[in-house]
Amino acid sequence: MHNITKKALRFVWFILMAVICMLMIYPLIYSALGGFNSQSEFSSMGNLFPVPKKPVWNNYIFAFSSTVLSPLLNTFLRTAWYTVVVLIMTILIGYVMARYEFKGKQFFMVFIIVSQVIPAVLTLIPTFVMVSHIPLVGGNDLFGNGGKGLYDSQLMLFLPLSWGYLLWPFLFMQSMKSLPRSFEEAAELDGAGFFQTILKVIVPMQKPILTVVAINVALNTWNDWMTPFLYINSTKKTTLPAYLATLTASLQNYGQKDYPKVFALATLAIIPPLFIFLFLQKYIVQGIASAGIKE
Amino acid sequence: MEEMKRINNKKKCSIRQQRRTRLAYKIIIPFFAYIALWGVMPLLYGLYLGLTEYNGLSRKPVFIGLKNYRDFFTNAAYMALLWRQIWMGAICLFMNTFLSFLLGLALNVPSKARGFFRSGIYVPCIAATSITSAIFVVLLEPNGVMNTILKRIGSSPITWQYSQFWMVFWIMVYFVWKNIGPAAIIWLGGLQSIDASLYEAAKMDGANSFQRIRYITMPGLRFVASYIILTGIIGAMQMFDVVMFLSKGNPYGKTDILMYRLYRDGIVNFNMGMAGAESTIIGMITIIFSMVYFRMVLKKEDQNA
Repeated sequence: MHNITKKALRFVWFILMAVICMLMIYPLIYSALGGFNSQSEFSSMGNLFPVPKKPVWNNYIFAFSSTVLSPLLNTFLRTAWYTVVVLIMTILIGYVMARYEFKGKQFFMVFIIVSQVIPAVLTLIPTFVMVSHIPLVGGNDLFGNGGKGLYDSQLMLFLPLSWGYLLWPFLFMQSMKSLPRSFEEAAELDGAGFFQTILKVIVPMQKPILTVVAINVALNTWNDWMTPFLYINSTKKTTLPAYLATLTASLQNYGQKDYPKVFALATLAIIPPLFIFLFLQKYIVQGIASAGIKE
Repeated sequence: MEEMKRINNKKKCSIRQQRRTRLAYKIIIPFFAYIALWGVMPLLYGLYLGLTEYNGLSRKPVFIGLKNYRDFFTNAAYMALLWRQIWMGAICLFMNTFLSFLLGLALNVPSKARGFFRSGIYVPCIAATSITSAIFVVLLEPNGVMNTILKRIGSSPITWQYSQFWMVFWIMVYFVWKNIGPAAIIWLGGLQSIDASLYEAAKMDGANSFQRIRYITMPGLRFVASYIILTGIIGAMQMFDVVMFLSKGNPYGKTDILMYRLYRDGIVNFNMGMAGAESTIIGMITIIFSMVYFRMVLKKEDQNA
């Protein structure tokens, strides 16, 4: 008797979870299918699954037209750039903070922790003003007036380094704690310098946590539509998620809307992170889990 | 002789230490300086900006003292936006925390399908808000999927965009859909870190399942809970993208919130002084909320200890 209720409960659990999963994935399926519709066919958008009678490819092909290709490339470049930069920063800061004793270490430690709880909104507007008033850039004079500074400059895709990224050196420090010093000391006795020790000893031994950092940074950068959306005006210089932000925001306006095109672009913008997620899931999960349980 | 050696050794040590200190500074100071350039400088400049009137283009901000703050706190429209940011954020945060906890519990059931379900639940958050909210906009069209479902179950279609209640509801649904995955996995991590033998011991002592949840599960999840809620408060108080994409603050500004207004004041209308004041206000309120919550957690800890 008891066994039967247990089995029934398990069955209910399974069905319930399956339904929840379907609901979570449903919008993405809708979008992928929607991209195959022609604009006229999609006007009856009420179908639960908008399977087109005559599939069209031009929405997806549009994604590789000159208009979208440049944002797509920018997104890839930006993601690669930040992944590399943040990885280097993570290793260097994390290693030095974990292994070196020096005056003022406490100060840097406090800086890292405090920076994690300061709301980003406090710097949003002033950064915007400052960026457009950097002296001698973008037509500005010596006092930062007259031009637009770095506003609408592609450099804004690569230059900002927010203190939110300090989370990763912090996690790296934590993981350094469980690595015995004897390996580095042996390397140093063999005459390895600072960078050699890092490359030959630290990086190979800390590969798991570094993978976690790389994947999370790559995903976050790919999905960061806000910075390009705020600072960059022209489609050519922006990133794909930021370009989609402009399209999404304009969906609220009146007039003819090309939904299938938006869906095709949205689907394409989801594919790279989806692939990373499917193949490297466990590192992503580890990343959030360790961020949550670190204290 | 021995003495000399020791002194020499000490000297060597301190020279080595000095060299290490210098190296440490050389490595980390450039990073921190560059980050401070993008963090500390704007932070301080923002405090000043709130005390000025500035269109972002002319030569210099004009200092006007606390006028922006006075305007903010005496203007009912601004106060309404602030209040709405707080309660809409609170609803979203509460629902997300509660539902993700239930999901965490459900995912803790041992099963072969568990990994699959966990991935499915996590998928929505790997895509940016700017991407997935477009899909929700279309699902909510008057002749969209949501209304098809309503018609199928025999009720009349609703024009969601004309109703404050429904727009808040859908904003919440989107928020939970997007954010539930990571939260559920953090809950799950917390649940799995609780020592299973504690449950066994409690069972032996005759504790029922409610008591086991109350005295073992809940205390064991304290840290995880405070992390989820703390980051949740910071996130909810800065929420604006969902509103911008799903409702644009409509109908008639009834779902408009302070962060969205801040964005329009600053980036769209170049009213930098007011936007600076608003960001200081909302930033400070966020910090106060976080601190109050942190205090509450610490106090509870003391009582338990």
